[in-house]
Amino acid sequence: MAKMIINTIRRLRFDHDEMTQKALADAVGVSRQTIVAIEKGKYSPSLEVAFKIADVFTINIEQVFQYKIEDNS
Amino acid sequence: MSYKERSIWVSLVALVYIWFNYFGEINTLHLAQQLTVDAVNDLLFDVVILTIFLEIVLQIIIVIIDNKDANYNEDERDKLITLHGSRYAYGLLSVGVFLAVFYTVFPTLSSYVFPTIDLPNAYKVMHLIIIFALAAEIVKFSTQIYYYRRGF
Repeated sequence: MAKMIINTIRRLRFDHDEMTQKALADAVGVSRQTIVAIEKGKYSPSLEVAFKIADVFTINIEQVFQYKIEDNS
Repeated sequence: MSYKERSIWVSLVALVYIWFNYFGEINTLHLAQQLTVDAVNDLLFDVVILTIFLEIVLQIIIVIIDNKDANYNEDERDKLITLHGSRYAYGLLSVGVFLAVFYTVFPTLSSYVFPTIDLPNAYKVMHLIIIFALAAEIVKFSTQIYYYRRGF
């Protein structure tokens, strides 16, 4: 099975007072559509944006993005 | 639909409308045997004016509809999508330029390119480039829309 980049942004937003995609997008400096694409795994962001997202949630980048086999269960 | 995607749709529709009209007029004049250099120049002037007018008016309408994102700057995903669109467009345009050069170097080929159109060779070469540039723009916009729809 191929590995892929998965992320926990949706859960992290929920844990941060249900932060909206727009609020996260504004904090990171990208469009809301880009956050939507990242959350759905349709777009892998640059390292800079990945670090900015982690920074917004004040956690390490590996807590936001993981490179592993997707668990669909 | 994002502001950027809407803007691309508008540009694509305006482009197709304007050039469809242009080539429609060219065809009509050709069938009526009234296709002259002056007529082509007039039509090209109309295309320039219509392009400026439509782009300005339609972009203003988009801003009115979606004024929140009007000052939005492209982010990295927008830039990547633009680059992908430009790459395909560049390939197609390169073919057009190559054909135009080939056609200019070997004028005997004129009987194969627009054979029934009675215009100077320079105008035939110009139209060859216009057709490929137009196709390139359509490919660019379509590719961008595809990536915005499908996700990137």
